[in-house]
Amino acid sequence: MKIAVCIKRVPEMDVRFKIAPSGTSVDETGLKWDMSDFDGYAVEAALQLTEKLGNGEVVVVTVGPDAAQETLRKALSMGVTRAVHLKVDAIPFDNFAIARALATELQGGGYDLILFGKMSIDSSNGAVGPITAELLNLPCVAAASKLEIANGKGTARRELEGAAELLEFPLPAVVSIDEGVARPRYPSLKGIMAAKKKPLEVKPAQLGDLRMTVSTMALPPDRPPGRILGEGVAAVPELVRLLQTEAKVL
Amino acid sequence: MTQNVLFLLVLVAALGFFSYNAQRLVRYLTTGHDEHRTDHPWTRLRNVVVIGIGQSKILREPFAGILHASVFWGFVILTLGSIEILARGVFPAFGFDRMLPTPVHGLFLLSQELFAGLVLAAVVVLLYRRLVIKPRRLQGDKVHSGDAVFILSMIAALMVTLFLSATFDRVVEARHAAAFQPISSVLALVFGGVSPGTARSIATASTWSHALLLLAFLNYLPYSKHLHVITSLPNTFFSNTSGPGQVGVMRPMDLEAEGVETFGASDVKDLSWKNLLDGYSCTECGRCTAACPANITGKPLSPRKIVVNVRQRTMEIAPLLKGDRAEAAHAVLAGGEGDDAGGGTVGERVGHRLLDTYITEDELWACTSCRACVQECPVSIDQLDVINELRRNLVLTESRFPEEIQPAFEAMERNGAPWKFQPADRGRWADGLGVTTMAEFAERNERPDVLFWVGCMASFDDRAKKIAVAFARILNAAGIRFAILAQEESCNGDPARRMGNEYLYQMLARQAIETLDRYHVTTIVTTCPHCFHQIGNEYPQLGGHYEVIHHSTYIERLLQQELVPLRTENGKQLVVAYHDSCYLGRYNDVYDAPRETLKRALPVVTVAEPPRNRSRGLCCGAGGGRMWMEERVGKRINVERTEELLGTGADALAVACPFCMTMISDGAKALGSDVPVYDIAEVVAGQLER
Repeated sequence: MKIAVCIKRVPEMDVRFKIAPSGTSVDETGLKWDMSDFDGYAVEAALQLTEKLGNGEVVVVTVGPDAAQETLRKALSMGVTRAVHLKVDAIPFDNFAIARALATELQGGGYDLILFGKMSIDSSNGAVGPITAELLNLPCVAAASKLEIANGKGTARRELEGAAELLEFPLPAVVSIDEGVARPRYPSLKGIMAAKKKPLEVKPAQLGDLRMTVSTMALPPDRPPGRILGEGVAAVPELVRLLQTEAKVL
Repeated sequence: MTQNVLFLLVLVAALGFFSYNAQRLVRYLTTGHDEHRTDHPWTRLRNVVVIGIGQSKILREPFAGILHASVFWGFVILTLGSIEILARGVFPAFGFDRMLPTPVHGLFLLSQELFAGLVLAAVVVLLYRRLVIKPRRLQGDKVHSGDAVFILSMIAALMVTLFLSATFDRVVEARHAAAFQPISSVLALVFGGVSPGTARSIATASTWSHALLLLAFLNYLPYSKHLHVITSLPNTFFSNTSGPGQVGVMRPMDLEAEGVETFGASDVKDLSWKNLLDGYSCTECGRCTAACPANITGKPLSPRKIVVNVRQRTMEIAPLLKGDRAEAAHAVLAGGEGDDAGGGTVGERVGHRLLDTYITEDELWACTSCRACVQECPVSIDQLDVINELRRNLVLTESRFPEEIQPAFEAMERNGAPWKFQPADRGRWADGLGVTTMAEFAERNERPDVLFWVGCMASFDDRAKKIAVAFARILNAAGIRFAILAQEESCNGDPARRMGNEYLYQMLARQAIETLDRYHVTTIVTTCPHCFHQIGNEYPQLGGHYEVIHHSTYIERLLQQELVPLRTENGKQLVVAYHDSCYLGRYNDVYDAPRETLKRALPVVTVAEPPRNRSRGLCCGAGGGRMWMEERVGKRINVERTEELLGTGADALAVACPFCMTMISDGAKALGSDVPVYDIAEVVAGQLER
């Protein structure tokens, strides 16, 4: 079983972002970076599949600047076999270009399964996985919450609004992973030490022509502060009125 | 003559067998790794004198303590007599009476009789206590009394034969009663009617019985938990004792060492020889387990079991590793709490390990690292050291830990705090207080007198922020030039270290040291005992050297120097119960400063003490990373502790730690009590002149 997991280095989201002077990107000073959350679930799913089968190889691939190698090392410390860094100066805001770079790398790699996080937590497109599947002409399941492989076939579960969908597909295939598959493991120091010696290959990313760029970026408007209408029963009519006329939720 | 030759043979055989066992047990210690334990020799000798000879720790429990001390001191004195008896067995002419002036020899004889009487009396009471009273701490799963009863009976027999031999010698020789042998003199009067022949036989039989029992006792020790008779003094000498603040320091760890693939300990081979000597020295008195907050509240942790397990595992694997293939597992040394774990075929024994086979993950994660066990141990065993090393293995090598602490690890790594707070908000508690940051001082090319290291709790937690505000107000009122690091501060790493994540700890600690050194910080004050202990006592391991003062000590000094303008009216007559923080008290011996601070701030206050206080204080339940773990089993530790504090009838509870603040406040809430909980800084700040 040979599994590729495509991962992305993203900024830690629990901070107040600032817009860079260019107005088209975030100010990166002081940001902390890590593997995108859903990508962590995908790496965990891949590791569990190979561990269950008792053999196999998990390869992580990323498109990103030099610093993205930290993210690859993290995946290696979790237990991934080797890593490929498709190098760019900055990650372009063009899903198709990134998918093209990944497809070029994965094409002919002999992978039985290619996993993605269901979307990156910074740009939240969820598009690179399905586009890569399209480029490689492979079946694709997006946002799987459960994934099993047996007898050369895969089954995946997708959570829908108030329902679930169970899918069956042949291998090789592309699956993007939702949380719920398995909580990503915490790398042991043993794993971190071992990761330093694992192979990490660096290549230029074959992005092709970029056709999408960010024109402007803006912060969401500040939320108006909460209001205290009063206390006890007396405040209820005013509350109801505002919920109807202002918040329009009743 | 024949008797002497026979005795010589017995003596040589007995001492030979003992030496064989002694070297075997010493050799087994080398299963553990090497460790330097002869630094601070004078402190070590002082400990041997005070804790060992002086029995200071065993006397913390007066009743059992005095009984044990009687037996111990008796044994020390009677050993002199034993030397004479054994020597006389070989050389009948040998005798202290020929070597010592008569009055001195008289005193020697008197000491022997009095201490033999004392030991006999103590042993009888101890037997009664073990068989009839049965104190709770001597009970427990798989804790056997048989060995103790056997050894106590043996000691009793030793004393009885000693008296019989002295008595009937006196009858045979028809000597007059002597003041320096009061007991045997009285007994000789009682048995005066026995014929000389019978008396001689009894005397000879008693002397032989005494000598043989003595040698049997000596040779029984290596097979018994009473091995502590031999190992406890060396164990006290080699214990982790370089003074307050150093006793609770975790072992330094080189994470970059070449070729190392496992970290921490999963088996006895990963522990140090001293940890294994701890195993030999435990006589299962249960003082540690009786003081353990986890055990008291029904968790699956018994510090005694941890130490006994170390001994059991040593006895299971060391003979195999050291080539003693024929060595049978020691029935008694391998017994005790959890004794059904080991044993089996050679293959099975090799396949076992200390972790999992003997000690479960649940036991290890139940520990609050409060050091009550270490504090109580009469022979200075360090149970916590073993727990810490096993935790390190779980996290660093095996990545096994309660799932709820992963977010804490991740937050420490990403947010620089054990919760997902925004690093940029760290200094916001000080908004409007006119507090200067280190960066602002540096910009003006100035340096503050002290750095106030705020810590994560007082920076972010809504309740604990009030402690930071109160302390800042006191510093301002006293005219202290102080600074905070604001967003340049981050978690000192202590929670990660206590939870076994040394890698994360060193990352955070090195970063903090880099920041502190960049500003040439020399003196730090903090309201958090964990920051206080970690930065002051453990950062030196990583090259960070600072004078760190806990706010209780700092405020007390300011009050003493009358630098804090306090209101003069006395206020209300209050009863305040103070709760000792473990990392302030047992780790650093700071007991008086917080109490003194309360008294100076509120002259009419009465400081009430719960039954468990100062070095016996019960943990609030937050230490050792328990703050971030669920407490699913047993009674909640904070509720237990809060009950004790409220039981004093206090009008308010006082703490000196933001973690204790959370735990005790929650405890009060859970108990439906509206007794308020204050930090000592808040009490002082409340008395500031307006």
